[in-house]
Amino acid sequence: MRIPILKLHNYLLISIQTDLDDKTAIQFQEDLLSKIHKSGATGVVIDLTSVDIIDSFIAKVLGDVVTMSDLMGAKVVLTGIQPAVAMTLIDLGIHLKDVQTALDLEQGLIKLRQELEE
Amino acid sequence: MAKILHVSDKHVTIYIKIRGKMQHGGKRMDKHLNSIVINNSDTIVKDWLVEVSKNRHNDYTSAISEDLFESTNREFVNVIFSSLEKQGITSELDDFSEKLINLGWPLSYLTDGLQAFRRVTINFILSQSEKVDSDHLSKVLDMVDNWVDPIINQLVNEYSGSWEHIVSLQRVALQELSAPLIPVMENITIMPLIGTIDTERAKLIMENLLEGVIKHNADVVLIDITGVPVVDTMVAHHIIQAAEAVRLIGSTCILVGIRPEIAQTIVNLGIDLGKFPTKSSLRKGFQAALEMTNRKIVHEKGSDEGIESLLDSLNGE
Repeated sequence: MRIPILKLHNYLLISIQTDLDDKTAIQFQEDLLSKIHKSGATGVVIDLTSVDIIDSFIAKVLGDVVTMSDLMGAKVVLTGIQPAVAMTLIDLGIHLKDVQTALDLEQGLIKLRQELEE
Repeated sequence: MAKILHVSDKHVTIYIKIRGKMQHGGKRMDKHLNSIVINNSDTIVKDWLVEVSKNRHNDYTSAISEDLFESTNREFVNVIFSSLEKQGITSELDDFSEKLINLGWPLSYLTDGLQAFRRVTINFILSQSEKVDSDHLSKVLDMVDNWVDPIINQLVNEYSGSWEHIVSLQRVALQELSAPLIPVMENITIMPLIGTIDTERAKLIMENLLEGVIKHNADVVLIDITGVPVVDTMVAHHIIQAAEAVRLIGSTCILVGIRPEIAQTIVNLGIDLGKFPTKSSLRKGFQAALEMTNRKIVHEKGSDEGIESLLDSLNGE
């Protein structure tokens, strides 16, 4: 299954609606990077509101995607991480230190705009 | 378990003891002893009162007034006898124990009292019997135990039941109080923490914090640790974890209320709190939170300034 990536002006919007498995995650990483390359987007919002489970591999992939996108000149914000997911990640010792986060899509877009203006 | 307890020359009586309950011949003997005790209740009560009063001065009941102690003793002994007469647990016993629990009488008063009753009764029965051999003795002991033990069990159950009830209520109350979240302003929420933090509470704090941030859509959360007496590595670890989790869900956490001694312990323990903002007081933290959400406190012009500007304008004319 592929995760749809929507383009909105300079931004890419991704809403992940299913629980990610390893294959989908890798596929998503490739898709996103090629989309950034093609569209020249400067900001990416990945919305995780409907994701109930994130394991250590998925967390690593997400962290990697953020770093990779940053290398390609696109800032990434993760939004809508559920409390239970956050607690699991912290328990697993995954802090996603260099990743920007926001409460919801709206806040995420505001944050992106602020960062890009700076 | 069948056991021959008593064999006399004229007739053979076999006591069958099943789970501590006396049957057949035992019943007759039981009734006999029972009537001895009930018919001589006055003497037993007198002895019992003396026995109970002996304990009075050196323990818990010494604070209780003489009259109250007397009347409670009377009531207690009446309850014991009424349950003896009726051969079992009575509603009077329930009422009595409930009353004592509500008044806060110690359980040891009741157990001591019943033990004294057991001693007095056994002594009395033995002094009434013509011949005392080991068979007779064990029979009397068994019988008196059968009267007293159910009463003790009942009372202990009532007491421990009431304690367990209180403990469970308090646990719920404590949980409700342990991690409150106050939405003071749009997008700003405060969690004041008071008292020691252990692992269980830390978990509750984190859950409440994250749920609350989502619920109130808070951009900034202030964790106020003014009321936390000791911050050791474990507490700091829990707070750091909570702050990290808050960051993951897309909000910011400010730790406020760091007292000088806590700052010293944190540094001496080598805990790194550099990653998230800290402030010494809630007030400063709140101001920082306002700045983060692009707001500030504006002081309205006071009356003094009003007068000054009035004077200025007068001078200018």
